[in-house]
Amino acid sequence: MPKHYRPPGKKKEGNAAKYITRTKAVHYLQVSLPTFRKLCILKGIFPREPKKKVEGNHKTYYHTKDIAFLAHDPLVEKFRDIRAHKRKVKKALARKNRELADRLLNRQPTYKLDRLILERYPTFVDALRDLDDCLTMVHLFAALPAVGGERIQVEQIHNCRRLSHEWQAYISQTHSLRKTFISVKGIYYQAEVEGQKITWLTPHALQQVLTDDVDFNVMLTFLEFYEALLGFVNFKLYHSINVKYPPLLDPRLEALAAELYALCRYVSAAPERQLGDSQAISSSENEQSEDKKVDAQTDESDLRLAQLQHQLPANEPGTLMHLVEDATGADDEDNETKECKNLFKKLKFFLSREVPRESLLFIIPAFGGVVSWEGDGSPFKESDEDITHQIVDRPTQSHMLLSREYVQPQWIYDCVNARIILPTEAYLVGRVPPPHLSPFVDNEAEGYVPEYAETIKRLQVAASKQVLPMPGLESGDLDDPHNLLAEGIIDRAEASEAAEKKRKLAMLEKQYHDELNMELQGIPYSASLSSKNLQSSVEDVQEDAPADSEQMEKDTRDLSMVSMSRKKRRLYEAMQISKERKKANVNILRERKNKAQASKKE
Amino acid sequence: MPATMAKSRAAFKKKADHVEQEGPEEPSENGFVRESGDQEEESERSDVVGSSEDEGSSGEGEIDGEDDEEIHQSAEESDSSEDEVAPRNTIGEVPLEWYKDEEHIGYDITGKKIRKQARKDKIDSFLAGVDDSKNWRKIYDEYNDEEVELTKEEIRIIRRLLKGRTPHAEVDPYAPYVDWFDWEDKGHPLSNAPEPKRRFIPSKWEQKKVVQYVRAIRKGLIKFDKPKEEPRFYLLWGDDSSVAENKRHGLSYIPAPKPKLAGHEESYNPSIEYIPTQEEINSYQLMYEEDRPKFIPRRYESLRNVPAYENALKEGFDRCLDLYLCPRTRKKRINIDPESLKPKLPSKKDLKPYPLRCYLEYRGHSGPVNSISIEVSGQWIASGSTDGTVRLWEVETGRCLRVWDVGEAVQHLAWNPLPELPILAVSAGHKVHLLNTGLGDAEEKMRIKELLHVEEVLTDDAGNSVSAVSWIKHEKHDGITLEHLKTVSTVEWHRKGDYFTTIMPSGDSRAVSIHQLSKKHTANPIKKLRAPAVSAVFHPTRPFFFVSTKKNVRVYDLSKNKLIKKLEPGLREVSSIAIHPGGDNVIVGSKEGKMCWFDMDLSSQPYKRLPAHPKDMTNVAFHRSYPLFASCSDDCTAYVFHGMVYSDLNQNPLIVPLEILRGHTSSNGRGVLDCKFHPRQPWLFTAGADSVIKLYCH
Repeated sequence: MPKHYRPPGKKKEGNAAKYITRTKAVHYLQVSLPTFRKLCILKGIFPREPKKKVEGNHKTYYHTKDIAFLAHDPLVEKFRDIRAHKRKVKKALARKNRELADRLLNRQPTYKLDRLILERYPTFVDALRDLDDCLTMVHLFAALPAVGGERIQVEQIHNCRRLSHEWQAYISQTHSLRKTFISVKGIYYQAEVEGQKITWLTPHALQQVLTDDVDFNVMLTFLEFYEALLGFVNFKLYHSINVKYPPLLDPRLEALAAELYALCRYVSAAPERQLGDSQAISSSENEQSEDKKVDAQTDESDLRLAQLQHQLPANEPGTLMHLVEDATGADDEDNETKECKNLFKKLKFFLSREVPRESLLFIIPAFGGVVSWEGDGSPFKESDEDITHQIVDRPTQSHMLLSREYVQPQWIYDCVNARIILPTEAYLVGRVPPPHLSPFVDNEAEGYVPEYAETIKRLQVAASKQVLPMPGLESGDLDDPHNLLAEGIIDRAEASEAAEKKRKLAMLEKQYHDELNMELQGIPYSASLSSKNLQSSVEDVQEDAPADSEQMEKDTRDLSMVSMSRKKRRLYEAMQISKERKKANVNILRERKNKAQASKKE
Repeated sequence: MPATMAKSRAAFKKKADHVEQEGPEEPSENGFVRESGDQEEESERSDVVGSSEDEGSSGEGEIDGEDDEEIHQSAEESDSSEDEVAPRNTIGEVPLEWYKDEEHIGYDITGKKIRKQARKDKIDSFLAGVDDSKNWRKIYDEYNDEEVELTKEEIRIIRRLLKGRTPHAEVDPYAPYVDWFDWEDKGHPLSNAPEPKRRFIPSKWEQKKVVQYVRAIRKGLIKFDKPKEEPRFYLLWGDDSSVAENKRHGLSYIPAPKPKLAGHEESYNPSIEYIPTQEEINSYQLMYEEDRPKFIPRRYESLRNVPAYENALKEGFDRCLDLYLCPRTRKKRINIDPESLKPKLPSKKDLKPYPLRCYLEYRGHSGPVNSISIEVSGQWIASGSTDGTVRLWEVETGRCLRVWDVGEAVQHLAWNPLPELPILAVSAGHKVHLLNTGLGDAEEKMRIKELLHVEEVLTDDAGNSVSAVSWIKHEKHDGITLEHLKTVSTVEWHRKGDYFTTIMPSGDSRAVSIHQLSKKHTANPIKKLRAPAVSAVFHPTRPFFFVSTKKNVRVYDLSKNKLIKKLEPGLREVSSIAIHPGGDNVIVGSKEGKMCWFDMDLSSQPYKRLPAHPKDMTNVAFHRSYPLFASCSDDCTAYVFHGMVYSDLNQNPLIVPLEILRGHTSSNGRGVLDCKFHPRQPWLFTAGADSVIKLYCH
């Protein structure tokens, strides 16, 4: 008899009825495997893990209800239509019936994903919660080369670029960026929108290589959904700050690859300029290849820029201030947003050619700074007197102005993560900057605090003392450890004294306990036996107390292990193993650090 | 020409309805091309043949043979050239060898035989060839039996053919094509047929098509104006206030886990301690592929040096795969303090008294002490060692009262449970000795002496049943020796002190024997065990008998003499067994260091398995009055447990590990060999392989 025998005439039940393998699902839906994949991706349907794998261990199982859900989707029918239509076109082309083919191509069946998005994310917060992958993907494709003839269409890449810029513009203008991190893989950003932490990764602004070990069909299907999702999310976000979506951009800035800046300006200008004005700036928002466009349209766009600046309220800081006021009026801003908004408030930045402009154009305004860059379309020139910081990333800076500081880009990122203006000495031109630390790591939980993290913490404490002399304003829980830590650092001697006291107290306590124990054990002994032996034995125990206590500890652990159930014991052991592993990792780090220090001393 | 007709008609029709006529058009075109090609070929061939036949004789013969059949046919077809010279011979296409031996070569047109011409011999022909300068032009025609002389013209043609040119020099194969026939606007139709009627009446089918279109337009299926472009994005999510509407339908959605956030080591400029040294990187090569770290931190001096990440696309793709291919389940992430896993046990203080630390040591044996036994009153303790001695100690003082030399290593010993019969049963080698300890008052001593008296007759009796155990009087000490066939491993007394049981592990069907002291009788009630017996115990209150084999524990009812229960500990090798004084609970120790607690009323499966020792468990013991039990093992430790059995059947026994007793040292890989509780006090005696007996007190 087979393993899962079902007598004839009896319905399937349990896992056999609940789950269906992928092959069977494909047969049931009567679609091809690629279409099934596409459907699953768009509908967000994933395999599930049945308790009992009836058909075998190495198969993918879908829930039958999920498959039924797919089967009832109009998208299945649409895909069939598309397939049939494609065949018609192919047939016409094969017969050299160009006319018919053109006619058919004009009437291609299309589908929309808005219904699917609403189905998968019934509320806006749901969509935000799942936005991480979407953003990462869109930013990745935005960084791919927009070359015709590749596997990815140029329009799609441009669309990705536009969407990502729109998103960044919103984040930047609402000051909801929280953390940034330059990793080898790219730059991580973490923003907080409607209470949801959204993290995404943008690749470094360098030419990405299209590899062959990637199935672009799958990726493009994902991208298709993500593009739609991000479009709707952007719409909602722009709607929430009363800005028209899709934004109409200044084509000149767009052409200069300063799209983000153009967007930011659009967003910030929006509250003033209501519906009437928008027509003035409206222009064909066409995304042609930038380089060609620049030369041809410079004059024209100069004019337009002039117009634009007339319509804009005076200059950048002014508009920003205005926006800030608006925002505070809305009073949906929490303390953190305020803090972020004011971080670079009085600073003016200038980016030189070699720094990652897009990233910094995004970050600096997000934290309240004013920024310009070297190149056309920049709001102010390098010679501007008010510039406080110039971001450079070159071995030496030939011409230096005393009024400003020349720092490396890492300084910005570190300042943002630490939420204070760090001293610039370590980040000056030509120096190797201090280590760049991830803001996503909880050092205490990890068990190892890098040296520079401690330095930053100290600086933070110092800054908070300067800025906030009254700790009563802040919540006490947050402030106390800081203070404690500061004290600990400032007068270490005191701390050590306290520790010693504690140790002594502990010793005394222990002695007392021992004596108590002695007494407790002594009484019954004396009742039945001569107490001499007991005394001696107790003394023996006291003599080798440290070794014995260790033994005792081990004994108690062993004993408790004996009485645990097997499941719990395994779990406990696994936990111990993971703990050990963590400890080992930390130890490796310590060892390396010691070695490095030792070699430095030599 | 029909082909041209077809073509023109096709062109005409095409204008009318090009879609439907496409099919038939093609074959007609093809037909035309083929036919015209054929005609050209034919005319060329006929030219060639004709010119060759101009000279009076056909140049074909055996040279061409059947390969050039086509040429023959074409030659026959083209009658114009055939008319001029008829072939002389009329035999047709028959093999010429039929006429080889005949006088004639065939028949002429009138039916007369044509005679063969006289053959020239070789010399003549040679001479003729030499003489005649035109001989090289001559060809012998076998069919007509004559010599043909080729003209200059013909030779020229042959030469041109050999070179692969056209046969006649005046023909220009590449002359521009002149289309003499003007196809368009032909005044006269090619066919003289009258114009058909259908040309003058409106097409029915066209009308039908038009009606179809009209209907489609009316219904709105065909639209002429382009559909209005709706805005791609709109406010999809209104206010999120109505909760019921905003619920996701269908199955529970399991959100994909978010990718792990980047740590310090992923930084472009990590601190030095995160960068592995070259040796460490090399050592990664030795690891298994899946253990190898995926990402090796690197340090770049400045941001401008950071290259593009080559795996960016690949990692994005992997994430996509994870999202749509990975089965998702809800896993409860356990984020608890590991200490909270430990069960809440009653505090040890409440469970006092129990043996805590070593109070006394009994030294005297010179070999590992295999077994100990405490007298019922708790005043005396007997121990048997591998050095072949049995010692009797006073418990409280540690004084050695007596020493018996048994001669062989003592395996096991047991006191008679009756206080008035201080008899010691000692198993050593093949023998079991019943020793009179000489304790107790005079009256008791007398009784014991009587009891331990063995008559010679009895040995004769035993002689009848050779297999059984023989009862012999002990020579050296006053007592009885029971001679067994195989090594005896354990001796256990029945609670009434009259019966005792011995186990011979290699005894097969006689492994378990029960002896009656008063009658000096031996019986083997249990024949079948299926596994080597390890030990046997009597039930403390009822006539039950527990035999533990290596695999399981069998419970026999001695009064009915049948198996009533089989306990399955599921252990590899059972080493010892002990019964709770209440009789309903059994503990079984095993060689793998695990102990099983059986509740006899509950099931034949263990109620609890306690993985106490890391090494072989040698013995387990229950206390007679306190709720204590202990186990000892070769890892030199003894565990003391609190084992409370409640009279309420609904309540499970409470088992709490209390203490690990250490003190023995290992010798020869063996640790503590035996443990026994004091009958009245919560004390534990342990016998070690280091030839020391220890007493642990509370």
